[in-house]
Amino acid sequence: MLPYILRRLGFGALTVLGVSIVVFVIMRILPGDPLVAIFGPDGFTRLSEEQRAHYMAELGLSDPLPVQYLRWVGDILRGELGHSFFRSESVAEMILRRGPLTAQIAFLSVLLSWVVGIPVAIVSALRPNSIGDNIVRFLSILFLAVPGFWLGMLIVLGLLFAFGYRAPLTGASLLEDPWTTLQMIIGPAIVLGLGQAAYIARMARSSLLEVIREDYVRTARAKGLGGRAVISLHALPNALLPVITLSGVLLGFVLAGSIPVERAFGTPGLGSAMFAAVSERDVFVMQNLVFLYAIVFVALNIMIDILIAWLDPRIRFR
Amino acid sequence: MSLSQTTAEPAAIVPPEPTLLRRIGDTLALFARRSPLSAFWGVVAAAIVLVAVFAPLVAPHDPLMANFRQMGKPPGEAGLFGTDQVGRDVLSRVIHGSQTSLTVAAAAVLLGTTFGALWGMACGFFGGRFDNLSQRAMEFMQSFPDLILAMAIAMALGAGTGTVIVAIAITRIPFGGRVIRSVVLSVKEMPFVEAARGLGASSRRLMFRHILPQCVAPFLILATAHLGVAIIIEASLGFLGVGIPPPTPTWGNMLADSLNAGLVPPWWLVLFPGLAITVTVLAFNLLGDGIRDMLDPRLRGSV
Repeated sequence: MLPYILRRLGFGALTVLGVSIVVFVIMRILPGDPLVAIFGPDGFTRLSEEQRAHYMAELGLSDPLPVQYLRWVGDILRGELGHSFFRSESVAEMILRRGPLTAQIAFLSVLLSWVVGIPVAIVSALRPNSIGDNIVRFLSILFLAVPGFWLGMLIVLGLLFAFGYRAPLTGASLLEDPWTTLQMIIGPAIVLGLGQAAYIARMARSSLLEVIREDYVRTARAKGLGGRAVISLHALPNALLPVITLSGVLLGFVLAGSIPVERAFGTPGLGSAMFAAVSERDVFVMQNLVFLYAIVFVALNIMIDILIAWLDPRIRFR
Repeated sequence: MSLSQTTAEPAAIVPPEPTLLRRIGDTLALFARRSPLSAFWGVVAAAIVLVAVFAPLVAPHDPLMANFRQMGKPPGEAGLFGTDQVGRDVLSRVIHGSQTSLTVAAAAVLLGTTFGALWGMACGFFGGRFDNLSQRAMEFMQSFPDLILAMAIAMALGAGTGTVIVAIAITRIPFGGRVIRSVVLSVKEMPFVEAARGLGASSRRLMFRHILPQCVAPFLILATAHLGVAIIIEASLGFLGVGIPPPTPTWGNMLADSLNAGLVPPWWLVLFPGLAITVTVLAFNLLGDGIRDMLDPRLRGSV
């Protein structure tokens, strides 16, 4: 097991390095002048030649690209994520303040997707082509097509019309005020959870249908086990392996999807910070946030891989 | 020397050659028989495409024209879908939005998948160090959630239709690359390719005459499967303000606009653009499923 974990971690480190290069290339080398982004096209034309050179030097943009890259990586390694141009709060503080909310949304949505997706898949797989199965399949196809942020807007509107209710916009921490926090995260978590549940149900259904036909399941039936025991003790554990992997990939979608969904609900999480950075054209904050999201995504996938290898010894020895 | 002789004779000698139109018709009929549900959604998709193409003719009003006597009117009072906060007709904007959304999504998917497919073909064909490096590069690209990568690129390049297309296209490259690479790797070992190689076919001939045709079906499946995703990414970019800049009506822009229409957005500004996205994506996804099942039944449930 240990060699596998080490190999996977080494590989992950390589990926993070590659990802940092991709982020740097996108944010710094692609055409598009950071000064235009910061001052706006009008402000940029009003700057004199010297002022431009001055700002470029001050921001370290006139150094050679490799130097800029190394400085950026060095800053990150020292934990200095810089400041926004528009806010007094440092990026690191902002991440610490807003990150937990998004993490809670992500966690709750994954939980919901399993709670909804797996039972639905079992019902569906046990009676393929029944009415229930067809309804489930249609719903899962439908939820793949519904944009989460739109569903979020509809929920916000619906609650407002029906009950005059609006989720709190500023919140405390989970420990101090769990009720407020729950109200803030439940909406985004439901929207993102249903989107994932559609994928999970589809995958679990087809995976279960495959496993049910295996010899060992027939053996379990033949020795007289009840249907419930056969499914939950024999078929399900194996059928869920690909679902776990998928769930890891979907976490990336949750991280990305939470940006528009948090905007729709007005939730002050990391996604809203990303939205703010984008609308203010805050290049440097955006660069660090994109990198952070990518690292989290890579780390989650490594954890899922290790979990799968632990659950399924065949993978370790490949 | 009658008229009937001259017309009847050639028809009797030459058997009726099925025209291209006829063959397409037959294929469609087969498709409808095999999967009526996909065929139905295919018709919906075709209708959406027609509306998009002829948007200026279909739309009752100019989508950009503000009308200050008709601001924020609900459906029924002004237009079928109501008007927005500056009095623009929502129905016309949704119709014109289909044009933008479909153009951007189709262009992005074609561009990204084609580039990825060519890259993947080269990887599978040449192998070795080039393949290794390319695989790593694609992995790095896939280490970002789609939307975040598209957002970063769209923001770095600055607003514009071309930018959005490129941003979405780049996120599609690794998918095309990986699928086509694996197809090439398996086709390369098939006897007919070896036979051609044995007959002295050059690398280029092998690649384009023998391997490329085998990649067409997976390519089509992949492209239709990703159309829906591309439409949703485009809408999300518009919603986040890094899509096609206003006042061009896109579904994402309209939803973003609705949030600026006051403390509580009027329901018709929220409902209709989102409904348009959902129905369009649903239609293309189901059509894609049908095409996949027809072109390659083995892939049922995958891709």
